[in-house]
Amino acid sequence: MSNPIDKLGVIDGLEITETDYRTRGYHYCLGATAGNILLVVQVFDDYGFYLEDLTCVDREERLELVYFFFHYEERRRFKVALALDPAKPSCPSISDVYRNAYFLEREVCEFFGVFFTGHRNLTYLFLHDAIDYYPLRRDYPLRKDRVAVPEAEKARLNSFAVTEADDAFFVNMGPQHPSTHGVLRVIIKMDGEYILEAEPVLGYLHRMHEKMGENRTYQQFLPNTGRMDYLGAISFNLGYVTAVEKLMGIAPPPRAEYIRIITTELNRISSHLLWVGAYLADLGALTPFLFVFDDREQILDILEAVTGSRLTYCYFRFGGLPEDVDETFTEKTKRFVDRMRSERFSLYENLITGNPIFISRTKNVGVVTRESARKHGVTGPVLRSSGLPFDIRKVEPYSLYEGLSFDIPVGQGGGALDMYRIRIREMEMSLRIIEQAIAALPAGPVMAEKVPKKIKPPAGDVYHTVESPRGELGVYIVSDETERPYRMHWRVPSYFNLMTFPESARGILLADAVAVLGSLDLVIPEIDR
Amino acid sequence: MELTALVEIFGRELLGVIVGLIGVLAFVVLNALFLTWLERKVAGHMQRRIGPKEVGPFGLIQPLADTLKLLGKELLTPHDVARPLYYLAPTLIFVPVLVSFIVIPFDRHLQVKDINAGILVVLAFSSLSVLSILLAGWGSNNKYALIGAIRSVAQNIAYEIPLLLSLLPIIMMTNSFSLKAIVEAQAGLWFLALQPVAFLLFFIAAVAETNRTPFDLPEAESELVAGFHTEYTGMRFALFFLAEYTNIVIVCAIATCFFLGGYQGPLLPGWMWFLAKTYLLVFVIIWFRWTFPRVRFDQLLNFAWKIMIPVAFVNIIVTGGLLKL
Amino acid sequence: MGEGSIHLAKEIIPVKFAALEKLLDLARANSLWPMTFGLACCAIEMMSSAMSRFDLDRFGAGVFRATPRQADLMIVTGTVTKKMSPVLVTLYEQMPSPKWVIAMGNCAISGGPFLFEDQYNVIEGVDLLVPVDVYVPGCPPRPEGLLEGVLKLEEKITGSRRFITPEVDW
Repeated sequence: MSNPIDKLGVIDGLEITETDYRTRGYHYCLGATAGNILLVVQVFDDYGFYLEDLTCVDREERLELVYFFFHYEERRRFKVALALDPAKPSCPSISDVYRNAYFLEREVCEFFGVFFTGHRNLTYLFLHDAIDYYPLRRDYPLRKDRVAVPEAEKARLNSFAVTEADDAFFVNMGPQHPSTHGVLRVIIKMDGEYILEAEPVLGYLHRMHEKMGENRTYQQFLPNTGRMDYLGAISFNLGYVTAVEKLMGIAPPPRAEYIRIITTELNRISSHLLWVGAYLADLGALTPFLFVFDDREQILDILEAVTGSRLTYCYFRFGGLPEDVDETFTEKTKRFVDRMRSERFSLYENLITGNPIFISRTKNVGVVTRESARKHGVTGPVLRSSGLPFDIRKVEPYSLYEGLSFDIPVGQGGGALDMYRIRIREMEMSLRIIEQAIAALPAGPVMAEKVPKKIKPPAGDVYHTVESPRGELGVYIVSDETERPYRMHWRVPSYFNLMTFPESARGILLADAVAVLGSLDLVIPEIDR
Repeated sequence: MELTALVEIFGRELLGVIVGLIGVLAFVVLNALFLTWLERKVAGHMQRRIGPKEVGPFGLIQPLADTLKLLGKELLTPHDVARPLYYLAPTLIFVPVLVSFIVIPFDRHLQVKDINAGILVVLAFSSLSVLSILLAGWGSNNKYALIGAIRSVAQNIAYEIPLLLSLLPIIMMTNSFSLKAIVEAQAGLWFLALQPVAFLLFFIAAVAETNRTPFDLPEAESELVAGFHTEYTGMRFALFFLAEYTNIVIVCAIATCFFLGGYQGPLLPGWMWFLAKTYLLVFVIIWFRWTFPRVRFDQLLNFAWKIMIPVAFVNIIVTGGLLKL
Repeated sequence: MGEGSIHLAKEIIPVKFAALEKLLDLARANSLWPMTFGLACCAIEMMSSAMSRFDLDRFGAGVFRATPRQADLMIVTGTVTKKMSPVLVTLYEQMPSPKWVIAMGNCAISGGPFLFEDQYNVIEGVDLLVPVDVYVPGCPPRPEGLLEGVLKLEEKITGSRRFITPEVDW
């Protein structure tokens, strides 16, 4: 039903190659050109695919735009590669078809200098005006003659310019604002209390992770993963190590896999807990924030004992774990599961879920429809609130999730209230997963044998996804058989979820905008990378 | 000049008022200090932590340290503010709350002045505070402050009506505007038992009038940073704070007079009963703050105009009917 | 303004105002209101230190003010990027004096793990932008680390170290 390969076959000049899904993470690779990319994208749109990712790889002799398309209901991933001349890279914009391309193309434009014709606002999103070269081009920093931004394009550097001279009322939310959870900046054009337009400005915490990926070895990059999404650090650890393992064909022993699952799910709970607290604080209730931190500290105690840190974990290694866990870990985890089930969920139920003010503030606020979600590539609880049971742990199982039984809670399109309920139910599901994993935890080694000291994956690329607390996390690694990745790209879920905000903010009250922004569960360092 | 001469010139009454005002001023400041401590301590205990404890016994010196620090802070005047308005607002917000205390009977004889239109004085002066909030918001040259001020005006106008309407049945029952007379009328039975609906209406409106959660929209931290006082520093900000806490006590004192029998109570002296009842209500307001989320602006106004005001009118009519029977 | 006039007066009547200044310093040290200003990972640990287990409010430093106008203490919690630096300086300048800065975490101290040759977006230490009073190292520092940083700052203000009474009730 949703295999567009026949339709794609008739497009002129499109090379279709089937790839090995097990080591590559995608089923087909399409070689498109600037001439037929719009046709190709249209086919994917007709078949209900979403634009999972759009990035660029500088192959020195050519710039290669890489599009990934995935489907919410079926496991079928397409990579579309498009070669451009690095001297004059230009390509038609697909932002009219896929709305998330509006942001993704701006990102590619500022980091690689690729120009998209037909893009309505091709200005800088992450970088600031003092950077007058393209940071992710390979000639930077290796050569001194960096690719400078052409004089004519410098106007794009200013990412937001107020053009209207009328008496429009602009409010700058952020980068320092209590409810943007970090350094997100949203420029809001208002009419009284109502929002006319909202435009996010990103990059206040751009920490060059993708650039660092290129000049560090695979092992050296491990700590960075925990600093991208500090709330779901272990999920990012997992995404990275499983991606490299996939590329190298390493299989970690089952004990390591189960411990990975337990810690990842614990981390998921702590992330969701923090969201619950922070969201209620956005709505004006401060006490739940402290209650959830109480629970969070219990998780941190467990994780600290095995990982050595409280927040920015760097726990997994290629091929397994650095150290085995002992009895106290499982004991403490079991005790935590009991504690959550017996007292904490009912506490939150009483304190938050039943509160009429909470319900009236969140019900039908920030509703993300299925169509809008697909056009923006939304994933995670935000997508599931629209009723789609899309969870990478089920759709594209990694680690040993396939053998565990758990449900995917979905909403009925009720907006933020549904997202809240989904996250609470997901915590319960995580407890279930943890219980099963503890019960199934086998004895044995925690490190695969024959993992080389120097990680040098075979040449090629891999696209690997895991389910982070915020949604689908994608890791794209291009290897050239050296110990450093040739290119590393991260598909971060909050970024895509944020893209729906300008649309859902239009016409709502300022107070609702705070509720919507909070419901998306944004982690800014993850967006800015 | 000798005291007798002063008395002759100004009259015993005026002197009494002046002395009373000084007493009130002392009470206002002490009360605000105590309430900030109480707020932080109650919040702490509700949130499974301790709250201030290192500064003085039980952290009791904490508010004093805060006040001293605020006194020693730089008084920044941001660029391009409307200076007269910006300077006037914190002072102006403080005057009405002081005047309101004149008519509140702390005990049978502990009252600065028993005016026969007492409650009207309180309500009239408390509406003045919205003016200073508007001045602060308008004068600050800050968008958050402006939005906060606009919210505040709409909110205060909307909730002043049910505030007064909810008190009318009691005024009808006692045939008096004097707070003392109303308290005296509750010697046998508190009006809380006779007018529970009115009490509820009054209390909700009072929470809204004092800009406390769940109606703290003018200074909604997660939306407006600090609302109308975003640009105020040091003591100017402290005056807003002082006024907020004093307002809380005033509305709770009014509620005590109207519904909880004021200073009436067995055994203990009257002022103790009065303060105990008042602070109980204050505690409830603090409790609200640390439990409820904030309502939305339209929900807030809808609630006032569509629910509270009609209910208050029905309550007046029913009371009037019952009184006639 | 307040502090300036005191310094001026100190030259005229040294003894009396020295006592007043000491009292003010004591008050300031016991009422350090931080600004709600989270940058990155360390912000979560800053929140943790205000929560039930660590409770920054015990020392009177738990009143997080969202507006810089009412804050005394800026805790720089995370990486400062070049795009963020003008904002950070503005925020610092918006705070009324006397004001203090704690650089929390390696990023704020030196750029931390995000330093590499030819890096293009990270400020290598917030002390290049604003004067820093206390450095709290760690990636991220534990909440106890931040508490110690706050106590260190108190020591810096008053000249004497606070020792916490270890009782648990109240």
